[in-house]
Amino acid sequence: MNDSKNPLSPHLQIYRWQISSLVSIFHRITGIINVMGLTIICLWIGLLFFGESRYGLINIFFQSYFGKVFIMGFVWSYSFHLLSGIRHLILDLGYGYEIKIANISGIIVIVGSLALTVLMWLIGRGLI
Amino acid sequence: MVQFNLPQNSKILKGQYFKDKTGSQNLKMVHIYRWDPTKNENPREDTFEVDLDTCGNKVLDILNKIKNEIDTSLTFRKSCAHGVCGSCAMNVDGINTLSCMKSHKDIKGDIHIHPLPHLKVIKDLVADLSTLYRQYESIKPWLKTKKPKSENNEINQTKENRDKLDGLYECIICACCSTSCPSYWWNGEKYLGPAVLLQSYRWISDSRDEEKKERLKMVGDNLKLYRCHTIMNCTSSCPKGLNPAKAIGSIKKMLATN
Repeated sequence: MNDSKNPLSPHLQIYRWQISSLVSIFHRITGIINVMGLTIICLWIGLLFFGESRYGLINIFFQSYFGKVFIMGFVWSYSFHLLSGIRHLILDLGYGYEIKIANISGIIVIVGSLALTVLMWLIGRGLI
Repeated sequence: MVQFNLPQNSKILKGQYFKDKTGSQNLKMVHIYRWDPTKNENPREDTFEVDLDTCGNKVLDILNKIKNEIDTSLTFRKSCAHGVCGSCAMNVDGINTLSCMKSHKDIKGDIHIHPLPHLKVIKDLVADLSTLYRQYESIKPWLKTKKPKSENNEINQTKENRDKLDGLYECIICACCSTSCPSYWWNGEKYLGPAVLLQSYRWISDSRDEEKKERLKMVGDNLKLYRCHTIMNCTSSCPKGLNPAKAIGSIKKMLATN
């Protein structure tokens, strides 16, 4: 029955988010951010070859408020994708499919990614 | 390309309001998705005030009460009313479930009832599941043996092998899991979906079946199987407490290790 006059029932609009579905969609989003972030890091390293003035240019960006937010955002994105990736590997080995355990591991990924971000910030500031 | 928004003809409009006429103090607001194929209109969301003092515990009781007492045109599928037939699968309070199993006492505030997500609506809460049934047929959900066996002899199975089917054979194909899966929403024509893959795994793990290899080969396809990204909406929605995500994971593991 592909009659176009029949409406499509609502899906994303009404479906309640679960921890497992949130972790899954953020795994994808952070994956895309990571590719973009890594590209920028590569460009940064590339600029090093063009001498100090060019390097200084991107350094100004990283020193700015926006630049710092960008870096911390990237650190979070990378941490999240790393932890979520480990979660997926464990699932692929056949463990952690019970909904309770999947939710706990999801929370570990979310909290862990924030903890790793703070840890990286502390290390970067030389506080640890 | 994936379309996240609803098409123009599927946008939900504000519907009618059915005020309570019993004068009861114990009222529940129930919002129900409506669409009438005889009218050339968009779907709408009607609101009913339902008197809970004279209503059973389950969401299906509310629907029956509305149909019997308030609006006889409300359309929904139902049959056994105790979670065996799978007819009354719908989206209640944002999660797919069987309305006959779901207690409305567990829902705080208003109740929102929609048909199963991302399907063509036939009328009100009745949606078209023919794609899913076609996919179910495609996995050949029956015992396959190489040589025809005598009809007089049963095919024996050890207790251990029989135990492997627990958690699989109980599935009633109510489609709660498949229609909760975002991957199935976006690739419903090609991806088999959790319900059908769970059934596929049920036949793969049956010790009496002799076409395990062919079954694995048939299902081990980039789109049919690997569109599962372990989102796990299926497992969290299953009204029978089964675990389709685990079954799909087991098929993937079998394919990787065989």
